[in-house]
Amino acid sequence: MLLLAPVDVLNELLLKFFSADTVNYFIWPLIQIGLVVTLVALWVAYATYLERKISAFMQARLGPMRVGPWGLLQPIADGLKLLTKEDFIPEKADRWIFFFAPYIAVASAFIVFSVIPFGPDWAVIADVNIGLLLVLAVSSVGVLALILAGWSSNSKYALLGGLRSSAQMVSYEVAMGLSLIGSLMFSRTLSLSGMVAAQGSDSIWYILYQPAGFLIFLISGIAENNRAPFDLPEAESELVAGFHTEYSGMRWSLFFMAEYAAMVVVAAVATTVYLGGWYFPFVYGLEASGYHNLYVLVSVLVFLVKASIILYIYFWLRWTLPRFRYDQLMDIGWKWLIPSALINIVLSAFAVFLVQGLNGWRGIQTIEAIDRGLNLTATGKGVMIAFGIAGLFITGALLARINWRSRDFNLKTQRRNIRLVNVPKGKPARA
Amino acid sequence: MPLVKTPKPTFAQKLKRFFMIDLLKGMGLTLKYNLGAITDKDAVAGKGIYTEQYPKVRPDVAPRFHGAPRLNMDPETHDTLCIACNLCAIACPEDCIDVIAMDVEIVVAGKPRRKKVLDEFIFDTSRCMFCALCQEACPTSCLELTQDFELATYSRAGFVWNREMLEQGRETVKYTS
Repeated sequence: MLLLAPVDVLNELLLKFFSADTVNYFIWPLIQIGLVVTLVALWVAYATYLERKISAFMQARLGPMRVGPWGLLQPIADGLKLLTKEDFIPEKADRWIFFFAPYIAVASAFIVFSVIPFGPDWAVIADVNIGLLLVLAVSSVGVLALILAGWSSNSKYALLGGLRSSAQMVSYEVAMGLSLIGSLMFSRTLSLSGMVAAQGSDSIWYILYQPAGFLIFLISGIAENNRAPFDLPEAESELVAGFHTEYSGMRWSLFFMAEYAAMVVVAAVATTVYLGGWYFPFVYGLEASGYHNLYVLVSVLVFLVKASIILYIYFWLRWTLPRFRYDQLMDIGWKWLIPSALINIVLSAFAVFLVQGLNGWRGIQTIEAIDRGLNLTATGKGVMIAFGIAGLFITGALLARINWRSRDFNLKTQRRNIRLVNVPKGKPARA
Repeated sequence: MPLVKTPKPTFAQKLKRFFMIDLLKGMGLTLKYNLGAITDKDAVAGKGIYTEQYPKVRPDVAPRFHGAPRLNMDPETHDTLCIACNLCAIACPEDCIDVIAMDVEIVVAGKPRRKKVLDEFIFDTSRCMFCALCQEACPTSCLELTQDFELATYSRAGFVWNREMLEQGRETVKYTS
């Protein structure tokens, strides 16, 4: 209570001027939004700094060092530079679409943060009971911005980049949505705060129940954000810069911001759904001893650290793996990720069914409560974790069997086509 | 059947592929470099960061490196050590040294004598190939090629160093931050 007393002082001050409803439903939300936007903007800016630093370290370089100590002011210097650059619009571009596409990209990335629970109590702007659905719906609007930008630039490279990004995002959106369903069976709610609460009351992270789901979500999230190794839409060596070839100055930096914000969104959602969100074993001790605001702040910090670890995985993958070829990209999306997401759903449903069936059989207790998500006893957790890890291998083996020589099937059809055109029947075609 | 014959993978290779060992190996390599860069204190080559912070931190040049020329002076009297013997100019394969001497009247043991002393020393660094033969030839260790390597100027004339520049050294900007 003593810590961060100004919050209460400010509340009393506001109540002197406005009615309680205005303060609770208008002014405080505005303050929350301002804080979250500031936090996210800073996070996005320093994600660029961290990416440059980490990429440098992985290549035995130093990275930005000259602006501020250890180059810490580099994002600000970059922003100032981009603000002062010319905002060039090509002569034959579709002016208004060209003008608005970056805003759509940034808005769709930033709106998602309205439902992300950064912490308990006042650290979440809106606890919507369809939170996860909103996240998926709004973040998929981002593809619209890329298509519009690519199309309106009146440039071949930009158009190809836009086409690629639309194909890629549409195919990976499915796997992303499907991979989340498994964890919904345990949380029994779509609200993101509810999912954190469910993990808290079950005192487990869903990554243990759903390792396959987590991996699919992470991979399709990386592909969804057009990040390496799936950065086909902005492949430098083929398409100059993809959909933002013709953009410059602040508009280009808006696209850049949108990309990093979308990365932060995926990291935040993955943290909330699979890594327990702001929940951390010892934070409840603070709440119990009366430091409510400190408890919220520590929770926010825990959340940021967890999401930053996922962001690190992003950087790590980007600077390790080479880019996929386009057909490989589609292969991974349609032949591996979507089927494995479906298998994951079936397996998790079967696991939940099994645990429910085991409950009460020969005195085995598996389920504690189901009012705040599926709370399992130690036995139930063991069964579920065993199922999760086994599911990883079952999925892998099954898909490896199905996709074994799946490329040859295409060759077969190709040869059949060749045979139909040129070669007389009965003779094998030669390429 | 594929048209191109590929060698059949062994069971070990199949297992390796299934568990994505090569991918994990690559990730481990980048992680090793990252951790090495973070924990590295003095940038040992091969373990940590190779980058030199050049204008801020002067690089270590090799001991046998030859750079900007210098005319050494007597540390006590601040007279030049050069005796205008012209040996360096003779030794120079590029012919880029001009030693201009003059005679001065001095009194030795009560008798007037004439002595040859150095008047002007011209050293053309644009023609110099830093072979240090002049340094070898110098009998008084006066002419020396130092390890300073920042020799660029804005004009051709700037490459020609006179006696003052050779004795004082060129003014270079020292970066501290």
